[in-house]
Amino acid sequence: MPPRPYPWKRRRGWWLRNPHYLLFQAREVGGILTAIVGLILLYQVIQLQAGPDAYSAFLTIAFSPPMLGLMTVLLAFVLVHAVTWFMLLGKAQPIQLTAKPMSWRKVFAINLILWALVSIGVLYLIFGGP
Amino acid sequence: MAAKQVVFRVQRYRPDKRPRPYYQDYRIRYTDDMVVLDGLNVIKDAVDPTLTFRWSCRMGICGSCGANINGKPRLTCGTFIKDVVGPQVIVDPMPNFPILKDLVVDFDDFLDKLEETRPYLVRSKPKPLSDGEYRQTPAEVEAYRQYSMCINCMLCYAACPVYGASGHFLGPAALALAYRYIRDSRDRGGEERLARLSTKSGIWECTFVGECSVVCPKAVDPAGAIQNLKVLASMRTMRKLLMPKAVSR
Amino acid sequence: MDRTTFDIVVVGGGAAGLRAAIAAAEVDPSLSIAVASKVYPMRSHTVSAEGGTAAVLRDYDSFDLHAFDTIKGSDYLADQDAVEFFVQKCPEEIIQLEHWGCPWSRDPDGRVSQRAFGGMSVKRTVFAADKVGFHILHTLFQTTMKYENLHRLDEWFVTSLILDGAAVGGVVAMDLRRGELGRITSKAVILATGGCGRVYEFTTNGFIKTGDGMALAYRAGVPLKDMEFVQFHPTALPGTGILITEAARGEGGYLINKDGERFLKRYIPEKMELGPRDILSRSIMTEIKEGRAFKGPYGDYVGLDLRHLGEETINKKLPMVRELAEKYVGIDPVRELVPVRPGQHYIMGGVHTNVRGETILAGLYAVGEAACVSINGANRLGSNSLSECLVFGAAAGRAAAAYVRKKGWPDGAAGREALKREEARIFDGLLARERGTPTLAELRTEVQQLMERHVGIRRSEAGLEGVSARLLRLREAIGRVGLADKDPVYNTELTAVLELDFMLEVATAIAFSALARRESRGAHSRTDFPKRDDEKYLQHTLAYRTDGAPRIEYLPVTITRWQPAARVY
Repeated sequence: MPPRPYPWKRRRGWWLRNPHYLLFQAREVGGILTAIVGLILLYQVIQLQAGPDAYSAFLTIAFSPPMLGLMTVLLAFVLVHAVTWFMLLGKAQPIQLTAKPMSWRKVFAINLILWALVSIGVLYLIFGGP
Repeated sequence: MAAKQVVFRVQRYRPDKRPRPYYQDYRIRYTDDMVVLDGLNVIKDAVDPTLTFRWSCRMGICGSCGANINGKPRLTCGTFIKDVVGPQVIVDPMPNFPILKDLVVDFDDFLDKLEETRPYLVRSKPKPLSDGEYRQTPAEVEAYRQYSMCINCMLCYAACPVYGASGHFLGPAALALAYRYIRDSRDRGGEERLARLSTKSGIWECTFVGECSVVCPKAVDPAGAIQNLKVLASMRTMRKLLMPKAVSR
Repeated sequence: MDRTTFDIVVVGGGAAGLRAAIAAAEVDPSLSIAVASKVYPMRSHTVSAEGGTAAVLRDYDSFDLHAFDTIKGSDYLADQDAVEFFVQKCPEEIIQLEHWGCPWSRDPDGRVSQRAFGGMSVKRTVFAADKVGFHILHTLFQTTMKYENLHRLDEWFVTSLILDGAAVGGVVAMDLRRGELGRITSKAVILATGGCGRVYEFTTNGFIKTGDGMALAYRAGVPLKDMEFVQFHPTALPGTGILITEAARGEGGYLINKDGERFLKRYIPEKMELGPRDILSRSIMTEIKEGRAFKGPYGDYVGLDLRHLGEETINKKLPMVRELAEKYVGIDPVRELVPVRPGQHYIMGGVHTNVRGETILAGLYAVGEAACVSINGANRLGSNSLSECLVFGAAAGRAAAAYVRKKGWPDGAAGREALKREEARIFDGLLARERGTPTLAELRTEVQQLMERHVGIRRSEAGLEGVSARLLRLREAIGRVGLADKDPVYNTELTAVLELDFMLEVATAIAFSALARRESRGAHSRTDFPKRDDEKYLQHTLAYRTDGAPRIEYLPVTITRWQPAARVY
């Protein structure tokens, strides 16, 4: 009898069965959501430019419970996206300052520290600085 | 060594008997030094001779015995039963491939794709043998050694959701082997290989899930190879745009 | 695969087979060459070779020295003209592999490195970390993709040769994927199916090493030569039989008994751990017999001590040894002794050929472990086998290509007849039989245990007589083994029975050849005839198949420049 290979079919929810896949999906979705957060920030800047009335209207909506909830979720995804991005940086290392590629953990750590420093710097400018 | 019992839940595919795959349970005794492959052989020798699976070297170098064990792509000869007893051990064929029979899958697709990447040293004029070997320092060997360790076990393809979704993706091992040749200081085929690799079915199909490198039993790190290829391909494109007349290596 | 007619069919896709196929393909692009292998070529057992491959590359070495080491190592049973040819061809094969991309380990100046190995006077073993077989095989396999006239028949199991008059006319093979027998018509057939270690219970060999090609030739009337010379590698892991490479000793490892003694100083003080394998294996067995070995759940063993090499050297030169020891026996060689004991590893004997790989059957060639030229004689030196596969693979490939260019196509009738016979034997006979007693596994285990006990490192008349008679009866018993799996598609129970069938042929040849050789030489050690007898036995054993005991004949060894002397190290 002729052979009948059984074609492989991917099961729905494949990405729920493996924590690595789940993280990957979160990272990818996080990219889109990061863009959305960017647009929200852009909108915030536009409202700021439109005058104090427009801006306070924006702030009212922004601080309403549903919006706060939504922003928390979105920022969580931004965080996942950023952290996983730094994790990946060690794998590709397009700019190599050492003879052999550094271990990705070192690259990850260095980038996290730089990110933290930049964030502290920005916070200082917003709250403390001139 | 005390003997314990375990149930192997193995996926069968017997088109001569049933049109679809189904699970069959086997209860066997095992000891702590037995690997899943030993369990499968106990079943085949004494319980059910129709159980079909590939194996040969039993030491993790021939690449024959890939399977899904409790949902993860692993070599059956390298997975100890005591480490995966759940209390069951669920053995499936590697995903993302058509199933021929029981745990045997068809991976000819990989071999066709491997051929497309020209997995051999390319030089316009080979040196005559009488001139001896191409000199290569230990550091130059180290540059590609890791990527040459691929045993073609296909676990990376089984783990790659992109390969599962897209039939035309060249896949982790083929790309890692292509990278092995590009990084080999004796090779001059980088340009033509990158032309094939830097395509929608090549490196750009990869979205860096990274699972291929997690499951690789030989630490080849195909994910790293592919991302490095992306960097190489991008730099090649930039060079062509900015210095169209420059000759690359 | 639509076409089934080729100029040359190579059976077996390991180092020897692929090298032969490439050599033939290069001779003439208009020749069509097929590699038919029961497994995908990269699964061939070549892949597990660890230590290295020998060649004369440096000024401190010479062809004469490599030849002498090999001939002495063979206990003077090697054909010296063949050895002289062999050693001269090794260097170009190393360079050819390197040109094809093989990642040989290198010296700081970029030249190919060489290390010390058992029985070799100087450092002439080229290596690739401790995975030389893996790298050679994958280099060859990937290189075959360059040749348009080289076709692969992956997972085709050859069941018999086609004889067209006095020449070979191709093979009958089962396409495992489709579950169908087909005939592959060809002008020449090159057997490169490897050894037959699986006839033994404790072997370093993979599951697929069942002596298929040897049995195919044997059944076609070609004699098997020197089958009694079976090599037991001194250092296999107890239980699994996984190989721990000789390179561990080449890099300076010691063998220690339970008293912490480097016991080889009592057996072979000049060479110690770098003595030839037969002497080392016998020494270890003596230590075990005399109670100086460690006791373990899988038999007694001695310790391989690598601790003094240091972690850096072990990681750089012996990484796989460390991985295997940690994984399969839970030992870290950096800190502890690796348990090892002798295990079957290689067979010096095989299909009788000349230096071009030609057998007495026109158009039939044999290369690699499946063949016996003989360059290994009664004992093979480590790292000569891979070189042998490359040198004679290339030689046979070229010889076969020259032969087929002058030969006409075989008559189709012989092939059709052969196919019909095989279909009746396999589908109407074997596949239709119900599984009963003995089962396949029971019969296979019995053969393996018989061989292990009576045709192992130490042999005696009584043991050999008993096992020979028993094997003849078991060769009949296989006619009663039936199958539970009736589906011909990818039927590994069927292939296992066919393999056991081949194994019985080969085991019979080994046992009877050992019984007939009443001396001890190289790896063949008789407790009743402990001395070497050059007067009677400076000859090769030829075993011809009959339906009963094989007919044993002898063929003188070719001596050129090295007169047999006492083999003292």
